[in-house]
Amino acid sequence: MTQELRLPWDEDPDDLYEHAPCGYLTTLPDGTIVRVNQTFLTWTGYTRGELVGHRRFRDLLSSGGQIYHETHYAPLLRMQDEVHELAFDVVCADGRQLPTLVNSMLGRDESGQPRAIRTMIFNATERRQYEKELLHARNIAEASERRVRVLQQIVADLAAAPTEAEVAESVVRAPEAAFGAASSSIYLVDTERDLIVAVTSTDPTTGNWDDMPRSSARAVARVAERGDLHVVASLTEAKQHFPDLVESMRRSGRNTVVLLPLTTGPTDEHGGVVTLGVLAFSFKGEHKLTDGELRVVRLLGQQAGQALDRARLYDDARRREERSKFLAETTGALDEVHRLQPRIHRLLDRLVPEVADWAEVRLQVGAVPIEEPKGTPAPDTELLMKRVAKVAASGEPIFALEGDPLDCSVLPLTARGLVLGTLALRMAPDRRDAAGERVFLSDLADRAGLALENARLYEQERQIARTLQRSLLAGDLPSGDNRFAVETFYQAAGQDLEVGGDWYDAFLITVDKLAVVVGDVVGRGIDAATTMGQLRSAVRALASNEDGPARLIEGLDRFCERVESARMATVAYAEIDLTTGEIAYCCAGHLPPLLQEPAGSPEFLMHARSAPIGSRAGNLSRTEHRRRLSAGSRMLLYTDGLIERRSRSIDKGFEILAREYARRRDAPLQGLAAGLADTLVGKDHADDVCMLCLSLGTEERIERTIGADRMQIALLRADLRTWLVAHGVGAECRDAVLLACSEAVANAIEHGYRDDPFGMIDVVATVTDDAVEVRVTDRGTWRGPLGDVSRGRGLQLIRESMDQVLFDRSDGTTVTMRRRRGEDDQ
Amino acid sequence: MTDQWVTFSRFGDAELVSLTGEIDLANAPEIGRAIVKRINQAGKVLIDLTTVSFLDSAGVRLLDALVGDLYEHGTPTRLVVGERGAARMTLQLCSFREDVLATDLDRAAADLQV
Repeated sequence: MTQELRLPWDEDPDDLYEHAPCGYLTTLPDGTIVRVNQTFLTWTGYTRGELVGHRRFRDLLSSGGQIYHETHYAPLLRMQDEVHELAFDVVCADGRQLPTLVNSMLGRDESGQPRAIRTMIFNATERRQYEKELLHARNIAEASERRVRVLQQIVADLAAAPTEAEVAESVVRAPEAAFGAASSSIYLVDTERDLIVAVTSTDPTTGNWDDMPRSSARAVARVAERGDLHVVASLTEAKQHFPDLVESMRRSGRNTVVLLPLTTGPTDEHGGVVTLGVLAFSFKGEHKLTDGELRVVRLLGQQAGQALDRARLYDDARRREERSKFLAETTGALDEVHRLQPRIHRLLDRLVPEVADWAEVRLQVGAVPIEEPKGTPAPDTELLMKRVAKVAASGEPIFALEGDPLDCSVLPLTARGLVLGTLALRMAPDRRDAAGERVFLSDLADRAGLALENARLYEQERQIARTLQRSLLAGDLPSGDNRFAVETFYQAAGQDLEVGGDWYDAFLITVDKLAVVVGDVVGRGIDAATTMGQLRSAVRALASNEDGPARLIEGLDRFCERVESARMATVAYAEIDLTTGEIAYCCAGHLPPLLQEPAGSPEFLMHARSAPIGSRAGNLSRTEHRRRLSAGSRMLLYTDGLIERRSRSIDKGFEILAREYARRRDAPLQGLAAGLADTLVGKDHADDVCMLCLSLGTEERIERTIGADRMQIALLRADLRTWLVAHGVGAECRDAVLLACSEAVANAIEHGYRDDPFGMIDVVATVTDDAVEVRVTDRGTWRGPLGDVSRGRGLQLIRESMDQVLFDRSDGTTVTMRRRRGEDDQ
Repeated sequence: MTDQWVTFSRFGDAELVSLTGEIDLANAPEIGRAIVKRINQAGKVLIDLTTVSFLDSAGVRLLDALVGDLYEHGTPTRLVVGERGAARMTLQLCSFREDVLATDLDRAAADLQV
């Protein structure tokens, strides 16, 4: 009974052995199983009979386990007499493998020889599972860590990417590094054009890179609109939802495509999310993304979206900065030129091709409408005119929208609330369209309108000044008197300067007394032109038969007390007695007149000099100088623009003027001043040039030398005509002589000098009581009779119009022609 | 450029080309081009030379070519030249065809109506 009264922990050793929570094996040193407990048999499904005396422990192990048994277990046991926690997979009766942990102890007899091995076997099924999970978890953690590293790198790159293009470049590399994708591409949303545009790809041979409308049915557009990640896991799925992907997936061997919207805005799910682009990446083979990967993918979408947003803002800021710089520079460039046409050209030069590939300014103010286009190709005229008319009438701009057949924006040019005209332009292909630039374009048009209006006002004032000056200068100069001839010349300053205050005048004080004057008022513009007019009138009013030049200049000094703007004007004034040929002159601060008498060198008239009109510090004692001039003398009055050049001294200027004047002593009076201006100052000069050349008396014999230039024939004819009139040659004879002389000179130019543009032609004419004789000489080459019909007609005219004609071809050609004076002669 | 020598207007149903000033070797070719450009479609042409103060052989050549072309195209044409003066003199010296000359505009226009 006492045996019945065992305490719960007082166990039966046999039962404990058989049903211990682990397996027990006892084997011989060679491993043959000699004893096994029930627990082990239950786990493995073997019967005791199958094992005991029949199998070795190693026979129960997997093949890998048997090798391990050989290499580790047995040697360790023999050396240490025990081994612990060796992992073996035991092959069960049904072939299943049971993960176990094994401890063994080797028992020895008194002589130390191995006697038996006790082995304890723990079921390690759970533990292995756990270890496996542990390993798996570690793998996941490592993959996730790699992704995080990739993402971190991308985030760093994104932070440094200032433009959309660079953001796209950074993002497009991410899926390969982070998820092992085969390739990826970036699409950006262009909200202004309502398009989605492919911008970059790691493998441009895949996919469809055409721009698509945001409303497109294509997968990229759908995902962009939904704003949420979409995974196309297989071709079947693609066929079902996004047929547009099937073809490119098949072609490039992709089975999984991930479409990730790049978004910005609040991360919570309630709206406000804006899709700026789509990242598409694909895998070869069907690839299942883990939740962790998907989380990272979404994170990437947000990061990239934010970077894009930042880049866009940055782009906007930079564009704004560029625009304001452009506007500022344009205003500056327009300010540099004052006149209307140059300003319009400046504006167009700024716009084309930088902003627009075609632009046009139309101005409707002023007498003549202005229409200045630049660039190509010109748009449809009819459509443009309609739009221009609309804008001009409403004063409201019309911007070209997508698909506009005209493709031109038209903006009003306004100033002070008035529409002056329009600016039409077609944006350059690389610019954003006009609608996107409307603020910029409106700003540009505002500035241009103001600048052009100012130029127009300037132009108007300039025109008034010029008209005033012209009208004052154009006053009738005395002519028709054989005793003198006056030639004048005025050339306004180049470089768009305002009119100056230079003037000339010639008038008869009495029938026998001529006054000539050239002067220069300080300053430019309308004030100078007005003052010039007042001074000119003052000179005419003060000139009298009795007083003479010195008194007249004193009168001008007094005039300055009332007309302050006339102060410091310079004047060269001369009076000529036409009966005696005596002149009296006075120079108030003005350059000395230049005199050429028929014989001798030209001479500057250096007497009777004093300070400018109304000078406060200069010499105001006005004197005059008199001298007698012989018939045929020429006197030149001029302003400083003729000789003053920055590049040479005034002495040099005098020297050149004297030389050029002397060289032209035989040139026709008409055109003489223009020729001097041409040689001395050219066309582009910084000052006005004003000249008056007076020719005195009638030459008995006229001698002229002209260049082989057809333009000079008319000048020669003018001199000859004046001379013939002065000698009372009647109209019929005069016309005949002029015709014959012209033809002879034309002949010399066209025939004798046909290969020599620098040839010179001498013309000498003499008049007697009954005839006029003209001799025309060239040194050109005679080439036999003329085959040219028209020249033949010229020769015919010479012969027909003159009584005697003689050709001498011994040295060049000399034509001597003579005509009797007619009955209408005086 | 040629405005100082040549202007265009209508006289009745004819294109009127008015020449003035001195016509010579220097400006005749240019004037010719301006005229041809203007009158190539005209049905009738009057060329008024009454205020021409000088006419040389180059001017005659120009008129000769103009009148020749116009007649070839069957365009009735008259030159109006005063009874005296430089232009009349030169044309006469060259024996220019008298039948195209008239002494005043009204007469010339009347000639073309026939």
